[in-house]
Amino acid sequence: MPGKRQVASSEPLWRGMHPFGRRRLLAALAALGAMGGASGAFSRTSAAASREVRFGLTPVFLSSDLELLTRLRAYLAGALDRPVTLVTRRTYQEITALLLSGQLDAAWICGYPFIQYRERLSLVAVPVWRGSPLYQSYLIVDHDRQVAGLPDLRGDIHAFSDPDSNSGHLVTQAALAEIRETPDAFFGKTFFTYSHRNVVRAVASGLAQSGSVDGYVWEVMSEIEPALTAGTRVLRKSEWLGFPPVACAKTAGHRALADDIRRALVAMGDDPAGRAVLELLRLDGFTPGDAGLFDGIAHNLDLVRSLG
Amino acid sequence: MTTFTARLRALTLSFALPLTIKVPLMVAVLMVAVSAILSNQVLVRLSATQERHLEELTGAYLDGLSASLVPHVLREDIWEIYDQLDRTRHAYVGVRAVSTLVAEPGGTILAASDPHAFPSQTVLPESLVGRFEGAANLVLDEGGGRAFIRRALSYQDLPIGSIYGEIDISGLLAERREVLLALVLTNIALTLVLAGAGYLVVRRMVRPVDTLAEHLERGRGGRMEPIPEQRIGPRHSEVGRLFRRYNALVDAVNEREALAARLADEERMASLGRLASGMAHEINNPLGGLFNAIDTLEHHGDKAEVRRGSLDLLKRGLVGIRDVVRAALVTYKSGASRQPLQPSELDDLRFLVRPEVMRRQLTLMWRTDLAGDLPLPAGPVRQSVLNLLLNACAASPLGGRVEFAARTRGGELVIQVSDQGPGMPAEIAAVLQSDGRAEPPPAQGSGLGAWMVSRLVRELGGRVAVAPRAEGGTTVTITVPVKEEGPIRHVA
Repeated sequence: MPGKRQVASSEPLWRGMHPFGRRRLLAALAALGAMGGASGAFSRTSAAASREVRFGLTPVFLSSDLELLTRLRAYLAGALDRPVTLVTRRTYQEITALLLSGQLDAAWICGYPFIQYRERLSLVAVPVWRGSPLYQSYLIVDHDRQVAGLPDLRGDIHAFSDPDSNSGHLVTQAALAEIRETPDAFFGKTFFTYSHRNVVRAVASGLAQSGSVDGYVWEVMSEIEPALTAGTRVLRKSEWLGFPPVACAKTAGHRALADDIRRALVAMGDDPAGRAVLELLRLDGFTPGDAGLFDGIAHNLDLVRSLG
Repeated sequence: MTTFTARLRALTLSFALPLTIKVPLMVAVLMVAVSAILSNQVLVRLSATQERHLEELTGAYLDGLSASLVPHVLREDIWEIYDQLDRTRHAYVGVRAVSTLVAEPGGTILAASDPHAFPSQTVLPESLVGRFEGAANLVLDEGGGRAFIRRALSYQDLPIGSIYGEIDISGLLAERREVLLALVLTNIALTLVLAGAGYLVVRRMVRPVDTLAEHLERGRGGRMEPIPEQRIGPRHSEVGRLFRRYNALVDAVNEREALAARLADEERMASLGRLASGMAHEINNPLGGLFNAIDTLEHHGDKAEVRRGSLDLLKRGLVGIRDVVRAALVTYKSGASRQPLQPSELDDLRFLVRPEVMRRQLTLMWRTDLAGDLPLPAGPVRQSVLNLLLNACAASPLGGRVEFAARTRGGELVIQVSDQGPGMPAEIAAVLQSDGRAEPPPAQGSGLGAWMVSRLVRELGGRVAVAPRAEGGTTVTITVPVKEEGPIRHVA
């Protein structure tokens, strides 16, 4: 069983790898693993068992760390007992489009597009981080900057991660909507880095004076790249919101496969190879979850739309 | 002005230095000058090469940067511009970018690799823009070890912004310093080696000159010595030829000295011959009278008066002969010439010239004012005076007058011989006054006596002066210093 060897070597590999990439890869692996739980029996009974599974990963976790991607794919392939292809794109939007158009069997996306397209998407699994399937959005500023809250950031150059990111865009948009502001009017200048890690880089380097970032990413980075997060300070944490989920298109043909993927992901913690991947991602595991987890995001979206 | 004078003096001083120092010094100065020029050339070329190299490198760097930046600049995508600048900062080997930034055509910074120093949305600081004068796109700040580069970004021929970069060129400057150091050290070593070699070579070259100078110096005091054969060296070398010519010169000079000595001897013998014939005449003159007296004594010796008169005649005749003989003996007696000079020895000369005086019916005026013996060798003095007297007698017309005067004056013996002749020929006078350095006259008789006088007087440390007399004739004056401590007393 290759999984044992992977577990044994996973920690040193993790340390040596690019942290952010590792994280993205791990997320992708987790999503893929959802299918794995019953894969053995399923593959033997399903006519579609030998078809290749295409699993999408959003740039939030995307990494050039090929070894971690390889490990994730290996776990999913083993759990589903069929070939797996990991698909990555630069933006959330591209992955969402591929998922909606049926070119992906499942994808690890953000809660924001899940809510946007909730009529067409169904939940496969939700990662469990620090004991619950929830996370926060952080508003970060330069470590030495003396500000008390969001209102002090007026006129800033502000870094968002992705237009379709909940934590890296929508949360701050909603917070501004509460005080009847829009990012373009409130901030002096905004830009998108298309990666949470780059938001931290932008703020730490001084390119941006403040940024909106995934709290989970920031916390993990502060463990793995403390030098980078040390240049930033968390000014404000949002309420707890649904963790970026793994979703699939609501089409009849996908249902059986989606169930397989869900099983593989939820069972990840029971498998040494899967535990290694979870360890790399700093996640506790996956849970089937409930669409109600994302009500907070839906609320924020409504708030922003009501203003716009 | 003072500096110039001092420098001139220093320069003059350097020319007074020996060749063995001067040549290496000149080599060193030359080397320093050459190496200064060469080093300057090398450094100028090096810095030009480095600058070109830097231009090419930064050009390539900016080319790559521009290509990847243009789409982001078009979209004013701050993050991607920053990400490019940040990631390419260390990507180019040879270009150590300290910081880079991209600005809009209006001068507003879009993004910089170091946003703390150059925040986005602010205006380019004059401290950066001001470095670029006119169209220059590469400016060196060697003091700060930095180069500043600029590249305009354009899209479809429209300017969309500019890249500015600050490059660390301390590596290039360090390389330049190392080259300079290597040049200086090499040149110092070369200069020392060449100056040392110059010293050795020149010392070797100058050694024959020293040898020659040493021999010339030694030859000044007396007889010149040839350079020994073993020191001459190779036959056909310049030094060998020089030494051989010097030796030939020494031989010729020594030969001439020997000839002169022989001539002097011959002249002495010749004057002796003349004197001898004069003396024979002098002795012969009274001989007739003496024989007459003897005849008278033979025939009339019994008469007391006659006998007394004849004896008196005999005695006077014999005294005259004795004086002549004694004078000749004193003059030519071997060894007598080193005896101190007695006044009577000068007076004796009268007897030697008397035959000549009588033959030419001359009047000889004689005056000697000498207190006593003089510490001077008698021989050379008497020989000189005798020659002058004989010459004066020969020069004077029949019945003329010859004057002799000797006296001491201020520690010097001054002897004057005057005649009433037609004047001394210029060449003879020149020989007389030549301090004895004149060539010996080739022919016997013409000036040989004069040359001997000048030679003898020179040996005594004295001098000869010739002057025409107002009433006609010539006066020759010999002046010889009289030393209290002289070789005479020692001999005595």
